[in-house]
Amino acid sequence: MLEFFSFRTIWEYRSLFQEGLRNTFLISIVSLFLALIAGVLACAARLSGWRGLRGVSIAYIESIRSTPLLVQIYFLYFGLPTLGIRIPEIQTGILALMLNSGAYIAEIVRAGITSVPGGQIEAGISSGLSYFQRMRFIILPQALGVTVPPLLGQAITLVKDSALLSMISVVELTRSGQMLTSERFMPAEAFFTVALLYLVIYFFLKYLSGWSQKKLIFRET
Amino acid sequence: MIKFKNVNKWFGSLHVLNDINLQVSAGEVVVVCGPSGSGKSTLIRCINRLERIQKGELFVDGMPLHDSTINLTKLRAEIGFVFQQFHLYPHLSVLENVTLAPIHVRKMKKKEAEALAMEKLERVGLADKATAHPEQLSGGQQQRVAIARGLAMSPKILLFDEPTSALDPEMIGEVLAVMVKLAQEGMTMCVVTHEMGFARQVAHRVIFMDEGKIIETGKPDQFFDNPQSDRAAMFISKILKH
Ligand SMILES: Nc1ncnc2c1ncn2[C@@H]1O[C@H](COP(=O)(O)OP(=O)(O)OP(=O)(O)O)[C@@H](O)[C@H]1O
Ligand SMILES: [Mg+2]
Repeated sequence: MLEFFSFRTIWEYRSLFQEGLRNTFLISIVSLFLALIAGVLACAARLSGWRGLRGVSIAYIESIRSTPLLVQIYFLYFGLPTLGIRIPEIQTGILALMLNSGAYIAEIVRAGITSVPGGQIEAGISSGLSYFQRMRFIILPQALGVTVPPLLGQAITLVKDSALLSMISVVELTRSGQMLTSERFMPAEAFFTVALLYLVIYFFLKYLSGWSQKKLIFRET
Repeated sequence: MIKFKNVNKWFGSLHVLNDINLQVSAGEVVVVCGPSGSGKSTLIRCINRLERIQKGELFVDGMPLHDSTINLTKLRAEIGFVFQQFHLYPHLSVLENVTLAPIHVRKMKKKEAEALAMEKLERVGLADKATAHPEQLSGGQQQRVAIARGLAMSPKILLFDEPTSALDPEMIGEVLAVMVKLAQEGMTMCVVTHEMGFARQVAHRVIFMDEGKIIETGKPDQFFDNPQSDRAAMFISKILKH
């Protein structure tokens, strides 16, 4: 079987894979960063005392979690132009990933925050600490420990989800595999390489996750 | 110091506080007892506005708590609250638990706050545990840290909600000893507890509650030895059996 497997072709197309890998990496990083902001804001809205804000946040979170990402991508890709908003595919893709991951991150952060027993919050209130002081000194330090592992899980999911951007012709990793396949009919080589590169990103994030967990546990004791 | 005037509160349709009238003056130690669900916790939680009253008037340290415009931070900084389940902050050391509010509410310098905290930990007999974390302490020790945490704010009033109910019997004594000392030093205290010994030793008054009402008020010996109402008599006979 190996004799049919053309490493030479892979090497020949290395700049295509490089571009794909770089784009996947950049798109993921930027989307993740924006999703963190979106997630924290959505979570704050979800937990706020103001009903309207809570409603908006719940509507956002639930509508994202109940629909396929691909549909969300198409929705933005075909929907935004009809609203007169024209942005390049990459940006559309980043927006979609941000909104999607943001909803999941909002729930992860909320789980972290609500994991802190209410009694401690009452103890904080009783000693006169303000809302922000309670967040900063009591809730967030404890929420962090339970939040970081699922957040990294979400980061890994986001990287894999970014493959769907190939459907709106963003040249990320999966798309580069498709392009090789259509130029030379070598799907095995193409997607073997693509898969391998996703694996590399995956292990990088896993390593990061293990490292941060060690750091966090260290901080706690 | 504390004055309830026809205070009422409901949880949905449940009338938890029913026309409460009660006055506690500075330096007084009041024990609140009564059957489960009678509204004892709710009563003392109103004093630092962990719960809001819905009808009537409540003055604490001159501040009208029925008024929604008062400065709650200022009120709460003056009132210590000790919970049944201690509620120490597990991610902080004992010392940090005690200095958190002095530093961030009283705006004390860290050094100053630490000196103050050590003094309070000394008072509850736990100065040697300053660098420990709460999970390394026994229940009785955790509760004493919680008391030190309250004391570090130099409160005018200390509220206790069943401070010994979550403790193993052999640890109750050490916590009560600290509370007795505070009472004898003239601290204003409202204590929800069924510890009759504590009540007899230091309480000026015992309040008996049932179904959201204050049924009976009296001096400890008089209340425990010669209760006026049937409900109080029944309640006392029940706690005596323990
Ligand atoms: N946040 C709440 N929402 C609804 N009902 C509540 C709430 N808190 C307390 N209750 C109810 O109010 C009643 C009085 O509660 P409270 O905690 O004041 O009683 P308690 O005398 O302290 O009882 P215990 O000895 O069990 O602690 C109970 O029936 C309780 O179920
Ligand atoms: Mg109670």
